[in-house]
Amino acid sequence: MKRWGSRLLCVFVWGAAMAAQAGTLTVSAIDSHGHAVGDAVISIDRANPPAAASTHYVDQKAETFIPYVEVMHPGDSVVFRNSDNTRHHVYSFSPLAAFQFILSPGESSAPVLLDHTGIIAVGCNIHDRMIAYLVVTADQSQVTSKQGKARFDGLPPGRYTVRIWHPQLSPGHAPASVTVDVPAEGAAPALPFTLRLLPDPRGSADREQLDY
Amino acid sequence: MNYRLCSIIALWGAAMAGHAQDFTLHAYADERLVAAPDDSSWTRGGFGKTRYGDGQTKFHFGGAAVYGAAQITPGLLALAQLQYQTSGHSGLSVLEAWVRYRPVSTTPWRWYVRAGAFFPPVSMENDGVGWTSPWTLSSSAINTWTGEELRAVGGEFALEHRGEANSWDLRAALFRRDDPSGTVLAERGWSIGDLVAGIGSRLREPDAVVSYEGGTLPRYYDPFRNIGSSHWGDYVALSWHAPGATRVSLMHYDNRADPGATAPYAGNDEQAAWRTRFWSAGARTETGAITWIAQAMDGDTTVEPVEGRYRLTRFRSAFVLAGWNRGAWRPALRVEHFSTRKPSSELFSHPGEHGNAVTAALNWRPRDYLRLTAEVLHIDSTSTLRAQYGLPAHVIDTQLQLSMRVLY
Repeated sequence: MKRWGSRLLCVFVWGAAMAAQAGTLTVSAIDSHGHAVGDAVISIDRANPPAAASTHYVDQKAETFIPYVEVMHPGDSVVFRNSDNTRHHVYSFSPLAAFQFILSPGESSAPVLLDHTGIIAVGCNIHDRMIAYLVVTADQSQVTSKQGKARFDGLPPGRYTVRIWHPQLSPGHAPASVTVDVPAEGAAPALPFTLRLLPDPRGSADREQLDY
Repeated sequence: MNYRLCSIIALWGAAMAGHAQDFTLHAYADERLVAAPDDSSWTRGGFGKTRYGDGQTKFHFGGAAVYGAAQITPGLLALAQLQYQTSGHSGLSVLEAWVRYRPVSTTPWRWYVRAGAFFPPVSMENDGVGWTSPWTLSSSAINTWTGEELRAVGGEFALEHRGEANSWDLRAALFRRDDPSGTVLAERGWSIGDLVAGIGSRLREPDAVVSYEGGTLPRYYDPFRNIGSSHWGDYVALSWHAPGATRVSLMHYDNRADPGATAPYAGNDEQAAWRTRFWSAGARTETGAITWIAQAMDGDTTVEPVEGRYRLTRFRSAFVLAGWNRGAWRPALRVEHFSTRKPSSELFSHPGEHGNAVTAALNWRPRDYLRLTAEVLHIDSTSTLRAQYGLPAHVIDTQLQLSMRVLY
């Protein structure tokens, strides 16, 4: 019992020491008009800490996938849920994961296991304007909030390469990346990204402009 | 016949909707105050290029339409649009009615087939309920004509390839019942308006032309019918979808009508078939808050009034539209050019016309269900066709409209 107590004390002291040396990295994303960009995926070149595989949920409300962009890690699963009062036909033709589910109102799909890293576009065969992206990555990643912010806490000091990806960046180009030094204490200077985005392909359901 | 067809389609649509789990319904009704130019409108039997043309300022019913789409199965969609108009030929008509089978594909390739009555994929403006334009009240000359005389009654096959950066789709269709297409361009010329013909409605020929031919006034014709021996028309359209909202399309249409064929119609006159072919190109993109649409059309239409004597009319038009998306406010500006030309005029003296038009519209959507639009349409045109009938060849028309459109 005494030996276990001293081990716990060691772990606590080690954790406190690491916390004292942990840095914070804050990233902000804006578009070329200065507006905050949400749904951008910020990745740093550090492997995600090992964790149990988790199940992610992508909902469908008002003929929109929510969220637009979901970050996952290899081994995670995704479930599509239909919270609309109309049917959806969720599908993907990505070579990483080809699947299709007809979902009646209130129904959820079977979990789809995603083993490989990459970006998977998801659509609805009934409502063409519905699009979502699953970003499967082994790196530590965050999705920017509506305010265009993402924050990594508890980073060991060192040099990091930070990459950014957004569904509305021109395809075919490598994600923008920068190198930043995270200090042993406190936060690195906020890292700003300015993105030139293509128009949002999702559009919006409008009673005047029809999409058929 | 057409009313029977309309009834069958309407009943079929209702039956389909009853079985469908997912049904979408939209509608609009439009009332407007119009300051019309003096030049008598084509809807009143004149050569005027605007929808309204009686020199008066008064209220008009702009039209109403209902759009219904039923997702019968996940792959099978049935869609119909009906309209009611009081300009020109009054009444109820079917703008389009079709079923589409599009199975899901888990490869980059996807295909569909659809059958029924549908608009050939010419327009990049008219994606509103009732085939209206969200940018302006009056459609461009190209799409005014498309709405008046182009409808494919048949089947279409489409194949899409969806890439990471670029997507392509190829559409090919075989159709019937579009043998009169081209009549209005040859006999009246281009016009700019939002009066769309449906199956069951009629188009009015210019009174001067009818009188010259000794016909009975007013004379309307069915723009969607077979004339002469059985045959299929066809169109092929190729579209490129770039990342973002950019789309470029190229299309060829040929109704393959027999230009020497005629068939009786109202008033015991003979309605001629017109062999009409055209190329149509269009592009649409967005730069910031501005949507750009450009279209061009080049084609010809031929009739054979006397055996071995062909009367050819070439037609061309192009426009550029810029629409500024400012939330509830949407200003739009369109400039366009149009012309018709009859290369060999030895048989008749209808050499043609040319003109330019500018349309400026300010749209306001204070509520989701309400659209208010102020539009100025200015057309400067010269037509030797008008001069032949004793009317001024050069005419400048300006039409002002204030519209209130209720949307469902």
